[in-house]
This record gives sequence, C-alpha cells and structure tokens, in this order.
Amino acid sequence: MIRLTRRYDFSAAHVLAREDWSPERNRAVYGKCANPAGHGHNYRVELTLEGELDPRSGHVLAPGRLDELVHARVLRELDGRFLNRDVPWFARHVPTAENIAAHIWDSVAGGVAPARLVGVRLVETRNNSVEILGAEDSA
Amino acid sequence: MDFSASYRDANGVTRGHNYELEVTLSGKVDPRTGMVVDLKDLKELMEREIEARFDHRSLSDDTPYFRERPATPETFAQLIFELLDAALPDGSLHRVRLSPTRDLTVEVTR
Repeated sequence: MIRLTRRYDFSAAHVLAREDWSPERNRAVYGKCANPAGHGHNYRVELTLEGELDPRSGHVLAPGRLDELVHARVLRELDGRFLNRDVPWFARHVPTAENIAAHIWDSVAGGVAPARLVGVRLVETRNNSVEILGAEDSA
Repeated sequence: MDFSASYRDANGVTRGHNYELEVTLSGKVDPRTGMVVDLKDLKELMEREIEARFDHRSLSDDTPYFRERPATPETFAQLIFELLDAALPDGSLHRVRLSPTRDLTVEVTR
C-alpha cells in the first residue's frame, strides 16, 4: 500500500464563539479564544492520499494536481483570512481546529480521484493538532 | 537515515534532494536481548542496501532500477521497501517513509 502526505502552510485569524451564546458562556467554553477581536495562527495542514501507483507516470496522483486543488479550494479561501467573517462556512460553524480540518477534508476529498483522501492533520500550534482519518472502507 | 541523490524527471531535467528515510520494523522482543532488532545490524544493512546504492548518485543514470519506469518519490519509496524487505528477516519490515522534501512524504506498507 502506498500513501503520500503533502504539507501546506497558511495563516488565518479566528474567534471561537457562538453567536447564539452569551459572552459569558462563550468565555466559559472557549476561554481566551473567545476574545471578539480575534487572534491568529500559522496553520500547517498535512493531507494524506492513498492509491494505486500508475506504472506509466510513477505517481499516485499526477504531480501538481493536489497542489492546484489545495490552492484553489483551501488556501485561496483560508490563507490570510479572518475565518469567522471571510469564509461563509465558518459563519455557521465555530472555526475550531476540528471544524477547520473537517472543512478542509470536505473541500479536498472529492477532487483527488483516482486516489483517495485518507487523512487530514491540522497543526494549529506546536502543542495542538487535530487529525481526521478516513475509514478504510470509505473508498 | 539521510542521503542525497539526483534523478531525471519526466522532462529530462536533473533534480536532487536530501532524502530522509524512516524504516519501521515490527516483531517480537527477543527475551535475551530485550530488542526487536539490533540497531547496529539494521544500520549496517541500510548502509549496504540503501546508502551504498543511492547516496550521491543519480537514480536514473547510476542505478539499473529506473530504466523502465520513472524515478518519482512513489517509485523510489516502493523500491526501497522491496530492497529492504528482501534483505530483512521474513515479514519484519513494517513501513518505509521517504521524504524528498519537508512538504512531501511517501509511505509504503505491505
């Protein structure tokens, strides 16, 4: 079995708070991350693909395909943005590391055929990362 | 293990990397030694099988492995898995991880 993991970096600002909760409740749940002025991270995302090796090209996925996809669907949307304000999906979902990773999964998974997306790891800080692993039978 | 090598890409352009290679073995702990594998033996085996073949060489021109297939991170990682698997005790090789750059890692398992 062959897997390929590619790393991308982006920076974004966010606030962890729900609009339907009081400031006190947001503060209680999300702590200092609920500061309405926002704060930012240098995010690192590692995408893992699994697939068959094409004997002619020697690749699991044509080189550049994943880069183009990630630039078009992920980095353009997230890099340099204030996620809560600038990205529609995060108007409805609190931009936690978990939700950002899930959103990246949804943005990428449909575009990597004939390979399959099997992992998204989002590193938010040196001490904090989230990993989503696809089920083995999800192909 | 770290080593450096070059290859010709699909357009015939010569490229090179400092490769990082991680090899994972699995097996029972030998009750006498307390080890799954003697790391000195593994190091010597990797120097013989990998470093001697590829370090400071062109994968495309100095080795026979990429005459019929392109040298890519995927095919190179698969070749390393095959070479180590043939040289190690049956079934003990669990995983090969090859990173040509910080941003790319290819992982081969059985």
